[in-house]
Amino acid sequence: MPHARSLLRVARRLSSDGAAEDLVQETLLRAWRSFDQFQTGTNARAWLFRIMFNAFYARGRQARSAPVLVSFDAPGRAAEPERPSVLSPIDAAEVNQAFEALSEEHRTVLLLGVVEGLTCQEMANVLSLPIGTVMSRLSRGRQALRDRLAGGSGKVYRAHAVAGGAQKEAR
Amino acid sequence: MNCNDIAELAPLYIAGELEPRRAAEFDAHLKTCPACVRELEEQARLDARLREVLLADAADVSGVDRRMREAFAARPETGASASARGPLARRWTIAAMGIAAAFVLLGVGYYFMLGTRVARVYADAAADHRMEVVEQQPRPAWLDDPAQIVALAAEHGISRTEVPSFDSEGYHLARGRMCGLDNRAFLHLVYSNGTQEFSLYLRPRGTERLSGAVRETVNGKRLRACDLGGEQVASFETPGVTALVVAEGSGDAALRFARLAAAAL
Repeated sequence: MPHARSLLRVARRLSSDGAAEDLVQETLLRAWRSFDQFQTGTNARAWLFRIMFNAFYARGRQARSAPVLVSFDAPGRAAEPERPSVLSPIDAAEVNQAFEALSEEHRTVLLLGVVEGLTCQEMANVLSLPIGTVMSRLSRGRQALRDRLAGGSGKVYRAHAVAGGAQKEAR
Repeated sequence: MNCNDIAELAPLYIAGELEPRRAAEFDAHLKTCPACVRELEEQARLDARLREVLLADAADVSGVDRRMREAFAARPETGASASARGPLARRWTIAAMGIAAAFVLLGVGYYFMLGTRVARVYADAAADHRMEVVEQQPRPAWLDDPAQIVALAAEHGISRTEVPSFDSEGYHLARGRMCGLDNRAFLHLVYSNGTQEFSLYLRPRGTERLSGAVRETVNGKRLRACDLGGEQVASFETPGVTALVVAEGSGDAALRFARLAAAAL
């Protein structure tokens, strides 16, 4: 089933394991029932994500309290990616931990935009938000992740960008 | 544009959504501002790191597939008899295959709808890779002698150094031919690592501009990648050539091969 893996990957970061499968199942059944409403020429994956987030929000986010933490050193972990990782296990665990510590809204846009490759406009449609809000959440989410991983190195750039703005105002 | 504009528009730029005029202004600022270049490169590295870690979550969908079969088998209108359950479970399989086929076609259509020549070239590359490499439809025009492939490249404005060798990385140049993508001539090289084949499409650099999300930077070259149904397409530009890489399957196989190619070209 195309896109099921993407849906499940995102759902597992928002909900507990069993709830994530429930959510994906509900999404696929809703998509199956309303496939005639799919607009040709639009992104099918974004359409499925929109259905999933509608279902997620309709559930009142009841089941989201315990997002799965993927272990990188558990014995017998299935389906290790075939590519050689450039990250050490510690790096991966740190990234995971930093990501899980972010707010839900930052995790959501980073999952959809950075990991799943949706455009800002597609995310705006999926999440029923103005595109400016999506852009701002994405920037802040990246910044928050960077701050957690690098101890605030991004602040240098914020100072740099603000200085650039001040120059513009001076002109 | 100043540095604040760059910071504000970076999400659109990285996702390849900035309209061409604004993208040109964005690029013009980057040429004069090393701090913004460093910032974007840092963002690209962070994105790549996050993507790699989160995509390592294999997300086993067998449970979802089983639940869907059960849901279809349990529908009240299907009747309760055991004999009715088998065909209905199979119906989900058929439905899933139908939806899969529709999504592949619609996915390709989506990229056609982007309306730029460069976006269409991705869809053409994915379709060409599927027909010529994955399904291996019989074509007479393949060359498998590297010397002949280099000569063919030279005839089409691609120098010997732009036909890369990855033997030391375990990728063997298997064959090459000329093909048309979006009505333009590309040299199609196929590399094999023994288990999978990768297409590298090359043409002399023109005035067109690649679109799509920038995933990372290798030796100053911006690598872009997108998934098109069953194929992943990655792309980059050098001063001499425009390069597309296609590999079957989701995941970052094409992007990983594109890293090697971007480092070599």
